[in-house]
Amino acid sequence: MLLSQETMDLAMVRKVEALSGTSVRRCFQCGKCSAGCPMATFMEHPPNRVVRLLQLGQWQRILAGRSIWYCASCETCSTRCPNQVHLASIMDALRKLSWDQEGPSKESYVQLANRLFLQNIRTYGRQYEMRLAAVFNVKSGQFLKDLMLGPKLISKGKLKMFHQKNKNIGEVEKIFSRIEEMRRKGEAL
Amino acid sequence: MNDLRYSYYPGCSLHASAGEYDLSTRELFAALGIGFEEIPDWICCGATPAHNVDELLSLSLSAKNLELARQVSGDMAVACASCFSRLKFTQHILGENETKRQLVEKAIDGPVHLEQRVKHLLEILARDLGLDRLTQAVKKPLGTLKVACYYGCLLTRPTDVPNLDCTEAPTIMEKVIEAAGAQTVAWSHRLECCGANFTLSRPGVVLQLSHAILDSAKAAGADCIMVACPLCHGNLDIRQQEIEGVYATQYGLPVFYITQLLGLALGLSVEQLGLDALIVNPLPLLTERGLL
Repeated sequence: MLLSQETMDLAMVRKVEALSGTSVRRCFQCGKCSAGCPMATFMEHPPNRVVRLLQLGQWQRILAGRSIWYCASCETCSTRCPNQVHLASIMDALRKLSWDQEGPSKESYVQLANRLFLQNIRTYGRQYEMRLAAVFNVKSGQFLKDLMLGPKLISKGKLKMFHQKNKNIGEVEKIFSRIEEMRRKGEAL
Repeated sequence: MNDLRYSYYPGCSLHASAGEYDLSTRELFAALGIGFEEIPDWICCGATPAHNVDELLSLSLSAKNLELARQVSGDMAVACASCFSRLKFTQHILGENETKRQLVEKAIDGPVHLEQRVKHLLEILARDLGLDRLTQAVKKPLGTLKVACYYGCLLTRPTDVPNLDCTEAPTIMEKVIEAAGAQTVAWSHRLECCGANFTLSRPGVVLQLSHAILDSAKAAGADCIMVACPLCHGNLDIRQQEIEGVYATQYGLPVFYITQLLGLALGLSVEQLGLDALIVNPLPLLTERGLL
């Protein structure tokens, strides 16, 4: 594909910059982020190429791929960037955009884990690890995943059967619903 | 005794899979005479999954915790590296970005407390209490133990947020445990990622990354690894046997929380420190080195 003014999508670049609070356009492709990325080996587009595709208006390819979901948020890229591009925040912004389009990415396991994690916060106020693991296994169809770990963790007191109880669970629900309300009204992205 | 006191934010893991980190933290701080009270009804910080897909939610959850922390006097003491990172990120982002701050204040229906000081346990031990006072409290120096200090990602990175120590060559963990008499080893993977929360969604990632970390610690001649994060601990300790199987190797490296090793040096017992909750049994090593 030939590059031209028409192939670029500055509106998308601006949206990612607003969400992430960092510049997409400052990246000059030195590749230091990908050199230090512990997860680059699992990605079809290494981190520097994610930014390049974004600069060139090819963001559909990023949102459809797995790379953004294989970022571990270890912050190595942001720490080492010589031009102050906070790439870990750009990854957050891209995941949100992918998420808002109801997960067009092929990477479903990471998205499922994230969804269950957030549901647990809304329901219980705190994480409920036992439920997180059990529901993940059922919904991902991996009924036997980590089965051997279960008894070991229970015998060491590491897997609690019951969830923690918060008295302010109503306030947690209000945070979630206020954010939904702001988004409905178009006040927040 | 001293005049230090903190509002304690344990985080979800410390009330579940990392119970021994919570227990050893409470016992250690009591032994050091540091005042310590848990924040009532603290909520989950959202950790990585929240900021991964919904920054506004992530910032709001942490902002709510900053507000809840004000029920207890003192700076906030945080044990988990991920909770610590989220709280510091929230203060950093909301201090710089007025638009985001207004949205968060609307979401939590109150002001954001940027002035609330957030400290990781390591800072409290190394700086507030100080290494000299730590050394004075030691009853059983750990001189026979070679420790690989593992920082992982979020204690030090990125440059302008946690401000705990240098991002590429930190020394705070080594200084703290050397104050208890232990030897530390120089090794390559102390700042590499362990795979973090992929332990649920893509455990293969964790096996590969944590394998490299365990390999590096073993090659450097360490007897054990010391961590200050429940997720790093889960990956290196709980999954160690599985990693040994997949990569056909043998490590047998006990993985301690910083509070467990310091507690040991202060003469606290196996039960007080939850050492029996570790998956890789540390008792043979500690017995052999005359530390029990």
